[in-house]
Amino acid sequence: MITIDGVTKIRGRTRILHEVSFTARPGRVTGFLGPNGAGKTSTLRVLLGLDRPQAGTALIDGRRYADHDRPLTVAGALLDGSGAHRSRSARAHLRWVAASNGLPRARVEEVLDLVGLSADAGKRAGRFSLGMGRRLGLATALLGDPPVLILDEPVNGLDPAGIRWMRTFLRDSAATGRTVLLSSHLMGELAETADDVVIIDRGRVVAAGTLAEVVGEHATLEDAFLDRTASEGVSW
Amino acid sequence: MVSLVRAELRKLLGLRTAWVGMVAGLVAAPALVFVNAPATRRALADGTWGDPSDLGFQSLGIGLLGAMILGVVAVSSEYTSTGEDSPDGRQLITTLTAAPRRHRLLAAKGAALTLVVAVQGTLTAVATLGLVEMVHGAAIPSPAPARVAGAVLYWVLLGLLAYAITLIFRNGVVTLTVLIVNSSMVSVSYLLTKVTPLAAYLPDIVGAHMFLRDVGDVRIAPVTAGLVMTAWVAALLGLAAWLFQRRDA
Repeated sequence: MITIDGVTKIRGRTRILHEVSFTARPGRVTGFLGPNGAGKTSTLRVLLGLDRPQAGTALIDGRRYADHDRPLTVAGALLDGSGAHRSRSARAHLRWVAASNGLPRARVEEVLDLVGLSADAGKRAGRFSLGMGRRLGLATALLGDPPVLILDEPVNGLDPAGIRWMRTFLRDSAATGRTVLLSSHLMGELAETADDVVIIDRGRVVAAGTLAEVVGEHATLEDAFLDRTASEGVSW
Repeated sequence: MVSLVRAELRKLLGLRTAWVGMVAGLVAAPALVFVNAPATRRALADGTWGDPSDLGFQSLGIGLLGAMILGVVAVSSEYTSTGEDSPDGRQLITTLTAAPRRHRLLAAKGAALTLVVAVQGTLTAVATLGLVEMVHGAAIPSPAPARVAGAVLYWVLLGLLAYAITLIFRNGVVTLTVLIVNSSMVSVSYLLTKVTPLAAYLPDIVGAHMFLRDVGDVRIAPVTAGLVMTAWVAALLGLAAWLFQRRDA
């Protein structure tokens, strides 16, 4: 369970997040939708303790991410890129991450197999394609077999087969009771994957609810999204 | 905490640049003993060499590059981009999601660095001093164990100094430029001692008094030197930790 309550983040002179509040519940995929620069990544970074908010709280199972012992067993995160130093092999990267949280070494081979990277595990991360880097990032997120997954634009850089694989994986994860929070600017993708939707625009949550509630009387999620975020008019 | 130190050791020893630093330091110091041998022999013979007990320790200087490089890459490797197509992707994100308590993370990283630098420093010192004894033999006294320990401590403190500076600037180039230029080409710290004797207490040169007798014109007792350098390093580490805790990753 993810609870974000009144998070405000100011960077320099810009207010990036205005009292952002929403929840993501176990057993459901929550889609966090918004145009580029709306504050999706900033919200996820606050949730993971990477950035400090000026106000508000972001909790995972009632506690801040950083207050959990062995946090990788509580939540797994996929942010930009693979997260691995270029000169390290995928396996070497996963091994140090596993060591940091006291996870068994055998788990490294399991997650490599799970994301389909076993054959390339000895390759340096700097030589990975964008899609392989995302898989390595996901493998890292899954190391601790966490009940909560936090993913920023997970299908970015994946080929069609990879996108389908990711969609199935996330649906299966929710079906086994995991809390899945994923951000995206791709509405079609989210409409296929999410149970709940939160729409953020210019740092404010403008809609939140089940997919059906958010779509409402609009024909598609895309229509609902554009209706709520295009308040300043479309310039193209 | 133990698992964090193990993870940091694994990370540091898994970096090619770290090995380049260690091996370069380990090879360069003994190699210089050979290169300088004829000139040194002449200087010892005609008495122009200062304190002969300094000889072996003077030769260690270049090996310190290894300690600096280790201190720098332990941090700079966290900040290098993981690839062109992911501008915000850095290993630091993985590190902080795995170990979000930042002071503990810095302590674990510092402990791993200290271990590696201490081993590298000891090996370099033993190899270099052994070689000096082989080459110059009876002309110089055997190295005192306390001075060897002082040299290794200097090594560790210099590694931690590089670590702190790199954390403050979040960039290894700045640290390497400052420390390497200062230690091997034009020593700004040394030039400053010509202006004011107080400059002898700057962090990079004060520590040398722990194991050398002839350093510049100022004499500082080894224990005082060790305490002053430790205080410098502690202060810079404190500043680095404070900034690291406050900053957005």
